[in-house]
Amino acid sequence: MRILIIGNGIAGGEVAFGLRRAGSADEITILSAEEVPEYDPCSLPYFLGRDVPRPRVFRRRFEDYSSAGIRLETGDAAVAIDPQARRVHTSSGREYAFDRLVLAHGGSLFVPPIPGIDKPGVHRCKQLPEADRLDRHRGSAAVVIGSGAIGIEAAEALKKRGYAVTVIEVMDWILPALFDPETAGRLKRRLERCGIAALTGERVLRIEGTQAVAAVVTDRRTIACDTVVLATGIVPGVALARTAGIEVGRGIRVNERLETRVSGIFACGDCVETVDACTGEDAMFQLKHNAIEQARIVVRNLRGEPAAYPGAWAFARAHFFDTHAVSFGKTTRATQCELGQLEIIEREAGEDYLRVILKEGIIVGGQAIGRFADAAGLLIGAMWRRESIPLLRARRELLGGPPTATPWTTRKLGELLGLTG
Amino acid sequence: MKEPSAPNTLIHVIAERCSGCRRCEIACSMVHCGIPTPQRSRIRILPLPRRTGFIPVLCQACEDAPCLKTCPMNARLRTAEGAVVTDEESCIGCRACLYICPYGAPTVSPDDGKTLTCDRCAGEPGGPWCVAACRDCGALEAVRPEELFVRGSRAAARTLRHVWSPPRSRRCAS
Ligand SMILES: Cc1cc2nc3c(=O)[nH]c(=O)nc-3n(C[C@H](O)[C@H](O)[C@H](O)COP(=O)(O)OP(=O)(O)OC[C@H]3O[C@@H](n4cnc5c(N)ncnc54)[C@H](O)[C@@H]3O)c2cc1C
Repeated sequence: MRILIIGNGIAGGEVAFGLRRAGSADEITILSAEEVPEYDPCSLPYFLGRDVPRPRVFRRRFEDYSSAGIRLETGDAAVAIDPQARRVHTSSGREYAFDRLVLAHGGSLFVPPIPGIDKPGVHRCKQLPEADRLDRHRGSAAVVIGSGAIGIEAAEALKKRGYAVTVIEVMDWILPALFDPETAGRLKRRLERCGIAALTGERVLRIEGTQAVAAVVTDRRTIACDTVVLATGIVPGVALARTAGIEVGRGIRVNERLETRVSGIFACGDCVETVDACTGEDAMFQLKHNAIEQARIVVRNLRGEPAAYPGAWAFARAHFFDTHAVSFGKTTRATQCELGQLEIIEREAGEDYLRVILKEGIIVGGQAIGRFADAAGLLIGAMWRRESIPLLRARRELLGGPPTATPWTTRKLGELLGLTG
Repeated sequence: MKEPSAPNTLIHVIAERCSGCRRCEIACSMVHCGIPTPQRSRIRILPLPRRTGFIPVLCQACEDAPCLKTCPMNARLRTAEGAVVTDEESCIGCRACLYICPYGAPTVSPDDGKTLTCDRCAGEPGGPWCVAACRDCGALEAVRPEELFVRGSRAAARTLRHVWSPPRSRRCAS
């Protein structure tokens, strides 16, 4: 069987090599828009900040593909799919025939319509060539637009490289998709203590400069700078799927086997719209672990074993200098349009902070800074098991009784949430 | 291409036997760092609330380990023996592996903030040092994975019989 994979990222690589690990003798081709073997986008900020040397961003070498008998076509992007003829057309005019097709081409940076956004000095750090360009750039003052995880990581990297750094966030708090204002406010103070300015509730109006970037103008001020980094979010790549008449929502629509409406065409990674493993709601968590797990489900289905994808999970760390924080599940904002009684459990010890969000007595999300974050796994486990916190509270004696009566993870959970009294 | 997905030596924890003496922590830091520093131990003794018991916590080298998938640097590696360890050359100390671990098993090194986990003392002729150090209490045993089920179920059955023995009247007549 001819299996064609579009995209040589986390998901695409996992499908190709996962097939071989599973003993597949199929003809496997990966079509890649990039020139390099698979690298990890998550590693890019740490290469940029010189925490690790550049080769550490790669997940594979060219030899890995040849020795696994996987054909890798580089520097050629898929532009259209003909589902009837079972062919993919590329930007260089080539055609690839397939029996099974896997869409694993991820997403692209959302570029806001800001005047001046094309000026030299405006950078991105989603892909390796972009990180390389930013690495070679010689500047001294940077403005990072967007304070999501990527924006904060880019800001830290540039700070380490000696830049003066300002992060601008249009929402009222930083890391708005991952944290509630109470947690984010604490993180913002810590960011500023590291010498990174964070401006929230502020909108970028334009980027100025005659030749190259000279300033960023917001609705409140003008910030002189020679470097701008766009960290304005990732939008799933859906245009390619549309050419095949595949149904798309926010991302490519797939069934629980991760097959699109067109039989024999699968999709996985940042380009798909899936469900939240905990709640069953539509979800777009564009995270590495989800890309890997989805790719493994696609492999099993391609091998003829019907495998259902249980859903994606939200989990992200926020880490800069000596600050360590984590977020999982839903934020308060994400639960706002839902029915059900919300309860927030907060704990604070010095600079450490814990915030757990319960809905109808079940953990639906949490955020932690410092020492509390070290126990995040216990909270995530309780969320997945849908453990009832009111029940724990009511049966407090179980948390202190003989060690065998209650699993230690539950007992530690009780302690963490302050239920043991 | 076949990669091991599960360890071929496991350390079976029998928490009821743990006295909280922390000799395992000393042994672990000795074998890995050459000096007794419990902060650098890859096994840690967790006291339960009100010190009602102690739990030896160490990496279980999960079959589908979430840390392997969440590490932004791909620094969590499955060794040929099936253990899951941190590649210190790539680790940036972000603690993603610690945060996603159901047991919070990885230790954060006090030296450089990178994570440390149990490698089952790979290459040590006498097997894991913590197991040897725990001889008196017997809370740690080195076992093969297939043994673990049997031992675990037997131990659980023993304690459950003790904790939840049914009232006399409801016992089956035999
Ligand atoms: C800077 C940064 C930091 C991140 N940090 C984290 C983190 O800490 N934790 C986490 O969980 N996630 C993180 N992510 C997100 C994570 O990298 C993605 O979720 C993951 O890479 C998705 O895998 P994917 O295979 O779907 O897409 P990608 O890895 O983006 O791969 C898609 C590939 O397809 C190629 N492509 C696109 N269009 C075409 C086409 N038409 N034809 C051929 N090839 C094409 C692209 O060039 C790319 O190589 C980060 C992302 C970035 C950018």
